[in-house]
Amino acid sequence: MKRKVLSVLLSTAMVASLLVGCGSGSTESASGSDSSAATESADTTEAASDTAAADSASGEVQEITWMFWDDLNATEDLISLGYKDVVDRFNADYEGVYHVTPVTTNLEEYYTKLNALVASGQTPDVFIVSPGPNLDAYVEPGVAADLTDYLKQDGWMDTFNGGEGAFSQQTYDGKIYAVPLNIAAACVFYNTEMFANAGIDTMPTDWDGMMDACQKLQDAGYTPLTISAGTAWCLSMLAGYLCDAEGVDLDAIDAGTAHWTDPNVVSATNKMLEISKYFQPTAAGDTNDVATANFYNEEAAMLIQGSWAIAQINGSNPDFESKCGVFAFPGTDGRVIAKSDSLAMSSTTEHPEAVIAFMKYFTDDTAQKYTAEVGGKIPVTTVEYDTSAAPAQLAYVMDVFSNAKSTFGFYNESLASTEAGSTFDDAMVSIYLGTPVEEGLQTIEDFYVNNVWQ
Amino acid sequence: MEKLLRNKKAIIIFVAPAFLLFTFVLFIPICQSIYYSLCSYDALTKPEFIGLENYKQLLFNDKTMRIALKNSMFFMIFSCVSQLIVGLLLAAFLTNIEKGRNFFKNVYYLPCVLSSAALGLLWMFIFSPKLGINQILATWGIEGPLWLMDVRGFINLPMKVIAFVALWQYVGQSMMLYMAQISGIDKSLYEAAYIDGATKPKAFLHVTLPLIRPMVATAMSLNCIGSLKFFDLVFNMTEAGPNHQTEVLATHLYTQGFKYFKYGYASAIGVVLLILCLIITFIINKYIKVDSYEM
Amino acid sequence: MRCKNRKEDEDNMKKASIAKIAIYIFLILLAFIYLAPLVWMLFVSVKDNAEIFSSPFALPQRIQWENYTFAWTAGLLGKATLNSAIVCVVTLILSMIIGSMAAFAIARMRWKFAKLMMTYFMIGMMVPVHCVLIPLFKTFSAMGLYNSLLGLIIPYTTFSLPITIFIMTGFFENMPRELFEAACIDGCTIYKCFTTIALPLSKTGLFVTGLMSFVANWNELLLAMVFISDDTKKTLPVSLSKFVGPYNTNYVQMFAAIIIAIIPTVIVYCCFSNQIVDGLTAGAVKG
Repeated sequence: MKRKVLSVLLSTAMVASLLVGCGSGSTESASGSDSSAATESADTTEAASDTAAADSASGEVQEITWMFWDDLNATEDLISLGYKDVVDRFNADYEGVYHVTPVTTNLEEYYTKLNALVASGQTPDVFIVSPGPNLDAYVEPGVAADLTDYLKQDGWMDTFNGGEGAFSQQTYDGKIYAVPLNIAAACVFYNTEMFANAGIDTMPTDWDGMMDACQKLQDAGYTPLTISAGTAWCLSMLAGYLCDAEGVDLDAIDAGTAHWTDPNVVSATNKMLEISKYFQPTAAGDTNDVATANFYNEEAAMLIQGSWAIAQINGSNPDFESKCGVFAFPGTDGRVIAKSDSLAMSSTTEHPEAVIAFMKYFTDDTAQKYTAEVGGKIPVTTVEYDTSAAPAQLAYVMDVFSNAKSTFGFYNESLASTEAGSTFDDAMVSIYLGTPVEEGLQTIEDFYVNNVWQ
Repeated sequence: MEKLLRNKKAIIIFVAPAFLLFTFVLFIPICQSIYYSLCSYDALTKPEFIGLENYKQLLFNDKTMRIALKNSMFFMIFSCVSQLIVGLLLAAFLTNIEKGRNFFKNVYYLPCVLSSAALGLLWMFIFSPKLGINQILATWGIEGPLWLMDVRGFINLPMKVIAFVALWQYVGQSMMLYMAQISGIDKSLYEAAYIDGATKPKAFLHVTLPLIRPMVATAMSLNCIGSLKFFDLVFNMTEAGPNHQTEVLATHLYTQGFKYFKYGYASAIGVVLLILCLIITFIINKYIKVDSYEM
Repeated sequence: MRCKNRKEDEDNMKKASIAKIAIYIFLILLAFIYLAPLVWMLFVSVKDNAEIFSSPFALPQRIQWENYTFAWTAGLLGKATLNSAIVCVVTLILSMIIGSMAAFAIARMRWKFAKLMMTYFMIGMMVPVHCVLIPLFKTFSAMGLYNSLLGLIIPYTTFSLPITIFIMTGFFENMPRELFEAACIDGCTIYKCFTTIALPLSKTGLFVTGLMSFVANWNELLLAMVFISDDTKKTLPVSLSKFVGPYNTNYVQMFAAIIIAIIPTVIVYCCFSNQIVDGLTAGAVKG
């Protein structure tokens, strides 16, 4: 009997505490109803003090939420850790005025959760998003707000490298809907020691040179290339480069004037199969992490990856930094795959000034310096950073990037929809695993027939 | 007595909480789902009624759906049969030994109480070519297959691997149910059988089996429905890949609904899944009658 | 004649003992298949990330307990464990009370729709949670149940009900009628019959159902993932995915976190495994 009473007490206590928790949540959302369009002043700190004065009168802190795809405490990703700094700095500088609360999930569930929130009318004030079909999905129904005016005020846009040009992937009908934070370029990382031992002294610049280098490496007893087909986008990055090199025109495909079964796609796919004989034997099942580990544990000579891998490589095997070189994927006529993290603002936010102030913290000199020196990604602003502090590979990546004639997005993020991207990834993996080329490409073609060209 | 048991007010008080919860958390959402399944609805826009279009697409035009149906069916039949055989075998062995019975029983039941998401991750590791079993096989000079990537054959290897892991995880449940039932059988029946010259296996076949039939039905229906709803292990071991070859109904629903945000289409898959579950339960109830939880 | 008989007996004995040895070998091998992966996970959780890839099966070079402290602090696992415990315990109590009430009415009371009601509840066992996720999410966030543990407790309780009702109905139906008749003559109300006769006699059943619901909800991922985004409200399974980064996964700490997450279920299981079996057996004997 005693135990029964105890359990009942316990449960009521718990229910009560829950209800209290609930209540506090709702008051939180009820607070901060003032959303008058405060004009931006010349400088963020000034803006801070201005609004601080205005707000200390009413005594309300403007609460905003920021949705991000990595846990800021548990992560080892240096870029994510840099974002954590940004959040901390922002909350400290604007104490009593603005406050941002990060809402995190992992990348796998990120868009699921974000869409769920949007669908239920609880769009986070700021959210990170990849340019391409993902951003389209928020711009078209008006979930993301137009940021052009904010960017044009106070010369914010001028701090970006290339000015308005920096926003090409975020611009729709002349309006900018997201702010890029950093750029990662997909390159070929290589083991300089193995290349020297195999007698390769000039980096390949075309397809034949690449195949030749692979053959030499193999003859010298090395695994030429490590890649992951278990994580589909890794293989698809290679396939993307090959398609682009063959002149596959995605706009024409979207318009229905070119097809996935055209000879240039077939030829790109055949090239992928051709180079696949130089993959590590376990490529089919290796995940991204395993493939990268193969490279920094010096079991393979080359790795095709985005520059975010630099931090992972140097973090796991610090001795390897001096041996690691970078060159542009050969034969693409100076085109490089680039990807940027971008921030979008909810069109229903009640605190646009707070959001803009927060976004500016991501593109200020401190954050952008960190991006280059620690994170190993390319900064988006014209910030001066200490090249000697940055990882050695970043300079090589910067070289590749500045020599690039033009950039294009991740292939699976440049197609007509997210699902089209996955269909492409899946088709490439299944072709690598033995599906005949025509049959594999036909599945993408079929998808477009049923879903895109209607 | 009769009056007491027909007390309408009491009945309402007893049933109301459960009934209300069910109605608001299950029944109404199911109805909403059925409505969404008739709509074109993609998360960020309002649902737009399009009639049976989703179902047409799903049943006649969706290759992945066919793979998912095939895999789910394989999975259901395999789970049913393998859990029945292995579960019974283990139950029979364990009732026949004294030393260590508790130890073995607890070990075999252990994975049932662990998170299948976590176990899926663990097994994915074990079957990955670079890290797991293949390394052990390699030390003996055997080149292991690509456990989770080899997609040849009508029922491909990854599906079989997942089915094996599911058997590993859940067979303890069937074993427990059968053991409970077997230990309830009157010992004198066995004594009689042994006096008649029956060996142990024979006694098992002719005495035990017929007596635990109701439990077999219960365990089977739990298995069938469980395996139709199966999600966690597949999702964590292969993410339904490569190229959708290990897709099952629940993962197809998840991918369409929560990766591509086709809420309407995903709801249609959900309705198909629900109908399948109802049919299977009906069949089991009809042919292997289960009146109640007769343990 | 007698002689031959004895020989046969001996043969049988021999056969039996050989069979027994074979059974033991089989059981031990099987136990190895069950335990080896779990032990391996334990080893991995004290390695460092580079070591996993270079030598996955070797014993750890240096035991890195800091994986656990990192997982515990960075993953906010303490808070997550508390959240999981609150959700599971409240759900368990609610589902036991509500479920056994409904089961009692269905199993023992006389009314026209008892069978129909049972079917209604049993449908719940077949509905995959994905089916109702989207509508449920919309309703709950409109009601302000988003990001609150109550928003998990309600659906968890609902999804635990079918199995509870299923098992408890079996228990109540198998109770001898005379018990209730006697109580009735003593002037008991129907509520009294339920609380003082039916419930205490089906303790084992309650125990089994409670444990089943506890384990299921402790491990539930999907609802928790969709309904909770506030870091301080996350449950354990959701916290595990914190270690999966956008481009790389923090394996060692993830496994450390998994070990932390499964320890409570293993403890509960070790303490109560005999009661589970007793519960099942008790039901069996009565049936």
